[in-house]
Amino acid sequence: MSEFHKGIAEILEIDETAVNSATDLHACDAEWDSLAVVSTIALIDDCFNVMLDGQSLTNCKTVGDIEAMIEAARKA
Amino acid sequence: MAHAVKIADIAEFIPEGRLSNQDLEALFPSWPASKIYEKTGIQTRGIAAPGQTAGDLAQAAAQAMFAKGKVRPEDVDFVILCTQAPDHVLPTTACILQHRLGIPTSAGALDVNLGCSGYVYCLSLAKGLIESGSAKCILLLTADTYSKYIHPLDKSVRTLFGDGATASAVVATDAERSAIGPFVFGTDGSGANHLIVPAGGFRRPACAESAAEFSDGSDNVRSANNLYMNGAEVMAFTLREVPRTVDKLLDKAGLARDQIDYFVLHQANRFMLEALRKKMKIPSEQMPVRIEYVGNTVSSTIPLTLISMFQQGLLETEKRLMLVGFGVGLSWSACILTIQGK
Repeated sequence: MSEFHKGIAEILEIDETAVNSATDLHACDAEWDSLAVVSTIALIDDCFNVMLDGQSLTNCKTVGDIEAMIEAARKA
Repeated sequence: MAHAVKIADIAEFIPEGRLSNQDLEALFPSWPASKIYEKTGIQTRGIAAPGQTAGDLAQAAAQAMFAKGKVRPEDVDFVILCTQAPDHVLPTTACILQHRLGIPTSAGALDVNLGCSGYVYCLSLAKGLIESGSAKCILLLTADTYSKYIHPLDKSVRTLFGDGATASAVVATDAERSAIGPFVFGTDGSGANHLIVPAGGFRRPACAESAAEFSDGSDNVRSANNLYMNGAEVMAFTLREVPRTVDKLLDKAGLARDQIDYFVLHQANRFMLEALRKKMKIPSEQMPVRIEYVGNTVSSTIPLTLISMFQQGLLETEKRLMLVGFGVGLSWSACILTIQGK
């Protein structure tokens, strides 16, 4: 997950060490907006070779929610 | 007898109006100018003046090409204009341009309603017209004024799109082989809603109700008369289809990846180009970018990039290029273009 955490930190404009499953997507320097979601889709495709749905990503509250979606998509 | 085909000349016109990241930052405080540049790779966008249409931009691009002297208006026997912002619902803007450019009345003329995939599609039409012996010198114009569709307070698209036009002369040559082709195409109309101006056609005529403004979840304002882009869906589509299309074309052309000198992709924005480049493992020096001072100019991005490659001296000796257009439709296409060099 480290490459993913590094990328997420850049997207949320927070320190990489501050990224964990409990990180609140709506309490970071950058807004969890359409640009952040688009960036995250590309990041997840790059790190895990899976494509997540934009609407579901938009609805995520925490980094853990995203990680759960990645896990589910990888198993599917 | 089949005729070989090549691009004889190419020119551009970007309107004088400019939209800078500083202008945008003033409207969207959550997106500083530096962040817009970092994500999009764009500093300024050309913006058509009120009353300045895609037809006007295309005319200026064509005149810039004729001024170079390689191709004259009287040589042209077919006009193709790729635009999604025609001067009128009817007549066809290409017909108006035939007259305004002094092209003989014996020429054919038509518009093509495609966006970011349009240049490659129009090259295939031009090649078909020449190889079938139907025409010898095709004026291929790309022109769009998406700025006129965009709500001033919709940062999701206002940060990306710029207005502009290009003119290419696609001509018959004595060469043994065509410099253009083969082609691969793709269409997925199930994604039509992801990049759309919902109202203003006959499915939903523009009216007071369609002009009602609303705010989306990311604080963007627009109405059904404005351009809407679902960035997430467009990104997913691009990452899915573009690498596949590149592989398909290599296969069809019987070429290995290292036999392509440059991959000239539709210049959507820097972030998308970088994501594609990484996914396809293409070295950055083989993927030219021209977006910084023009923005995403829809069907003009590929020819604008070709012009800057000529200006940088990248095409002085024979080079094999792959052109890839993708976007609104959803629609995509790719072709091989061989540049002979000087």
